[in-house]
Amino acid sequence: MSAVSTDIDPAGGGEKKWRRRGLAALAILLPLTLAETSYESIREWLHGEDLIARDVEFGQGAPFGGSEWRLADLRGGKAGRLPEHALAVIATFAVTVGDPDLQKQWLGCKVMLTDAAGRRWLPDFISGVSLPDGVMNCTSAIFSGAKKGEIISVGETFIVPEDAIETIRPAIGLGSERPWFLRFQRPPK
Amino acid sequence: MFKTARSKFQTWITAGAGTIAALLVAGLMGAFGALPAHAPPQLPPDAAIDAGRWRVQPARAYVSRAKLYGVALKPGQKALVLEADLTNRTAQSDKAYFNVFKPDGIDLPDSTPMIALARDSTLTPELHPGMTERMAYVWPLAGNAAVPANLSFGVTAEIFKPRDNLYGTPGWFNSYRLGTVTMPVADLPESGS
Amino acid sequence: MRIRAIGNLLIVAATVVLSYGMQVSKPHYAELTAPIPIDGAMHDTVRARSFDVRLDRMVFARTLKTNQFGQERLLTTSGLWAVAATNLTATSTSTTVADGTWQGPTGLRYRQTERLSYRQDMPPHAVDPELERSGLFVFELPADQIRGASLLIAARQFGPLDAQARISLDAVPTGADGQPADVLPLYDLDAPAPPQGQTRQDQTRQGKT
Repeated sequence: MSAVSTDIDPAGGGEKKWRRRGLAALAILLPLTLAETSYESIREWLHGEDLIARDVEFGQGAPFGGSEWRLADLRGGKAGRLPEHALAVIATFAVTVGDPDLQKQWLGCKVMLTDAAGRRWLPDFISGVSLPDGVMNCTSAIFSGAKKGEIISVGETFIVPEDAIETIRPAIGLGSERPWFLRFQRPPK
Repeated sequence: MFKTARSKFQTWITAGAGTIAALLVAGLMGAFGALPAHAPPQLPPDAAIDAGRWRVQPARAYVSRAKLYGVALKPGQKALVLEADLTNRTAQSDKAYFNVFKPDGIDLPDSTPMIALARDSTLTPELHPGMTERMAYVWPLAGNAAVPANLSFGVTAEIFKPRDNLYGTPGWFNSYRLGTVTMPVADLPESGS
Repeated sequence: MRIRAIGNLLIVAATVVLSYGMQVSKPHYAELTAPIPIDGAMHDTVRARSFDVRLDRMVFARTLKTNQFGQERLLTTSGLWAVAATNLTATSTSTTVADGTWQGPTGLRYRQTERLSYRQDMPPHAVDPELERSGLFVFELPADQIRGASLLIAARQFGPLDAQARISLDAVPTGADGQPADVLPLYDLDAPAPPQGQTRQDQTRQGKT
């Protein structure tokens, strides 16, 4: 093995210097590797959660998922078969379609009600209660073939406990906009 | 770099040892693989067989032309049916019994059978640990397909690994043909339903 | 020199022992990613991450009676039917509770039956915050799996590191032979308090227009 010579000069301070540099590089490279490997997961997670609210005044429209969303109506009451201490709520939005590719823009459409404590209710089917005429739920709207400029009514029915009814606000999340979601101010009494 | 022819030769041998070993092993494996394989053993048709996660006992086999166990047949089709008692030998509910039986030497339009619980015709329910249930394997056949009077079914089993190679989790892997069980096949007349 | 050699040997031996101990006690991957159990007893409200569950009642029966599309069906079993009547609520967001498992005294896991999946009050149960909902979990069991068992309820079947309610069933009265004290010959699933007419409108599949 004596025939093989080494490139690094063993006597000089070169090796020591490089060792120190390598150690310093590790301090930078390790966090970088961690960030790189977890980037995809974090991005995917963010795109699946309704995390950051964008508040909209009542009567105002807001661009969301390529269309203009406005809260048209929010009404609650006793109707149909409900559990005790609960009310039926119907939230309706008037949506001016901008980008007509709803199957892409509105994928994972989620209409919900949020209350002051941050709790969230998703749509429920209530036997005996149906949406008003001309109002469709979000999934149907996606496949309705609405054209650009058309105004469609999107609504959902919910079951909400009586003590939350005072503070509920309708909200909407779309796959193309997450982690942001729209939260609407209630109509004035 | 190298001073003498001898050291050069030594280097060649050292570097080539792995290759030579690999060639030898590969050649031997090829030679063993070319040997005639052992035929899978005949299993007794009247005793319970431990086949990996399942203990199976074939009960009867027949050909039916009517709808049975909720499995509808297309017009002109008939069905080969094997009824067997299955017991889950594992520690949790499971339904991996699709490949346990396979009829030999018959042309199947679809090799995956419909499997129903004989008790109430539920299709492919999970079976629970230690609870024996009569299951019906139904293979649809072409109406004119010939079915021998004695048919052999291949029985497939798997081995249990406490730690698999990827995640170190326990599971059932490496399915192999445990053996063959031969059953007489009755031909049920049309008025089965 | 001698002392130093002995010292080195001791260090090597200690390292070997330590490494071996670490290897032996290393938890399985399956254990590391298993659901996190939250213990409770019958009639207690067990608070899992996304839902609360309370086991109200256990019924054991030899045969179940149920209606399927207006037709009466009798379901038999080679063991016993165990019907767990629970009360479910979501903690902060509407969600579904889909997985029930009966863990026998020796650790055997009996998943909820698939023979009743067409019924409304069977999992997955859609639950909302602060709205109580009754939900059934039904199991097929050998009679010797009842004493010392526990009921495991989770939001979904494979939920690594998610919460799993583990309800001890010690309160179930059993006889000397381990069989439950009360086994009904026939239990009509439609006879008790009718299920609330409430199901989650499926978000991904098509509802009504």
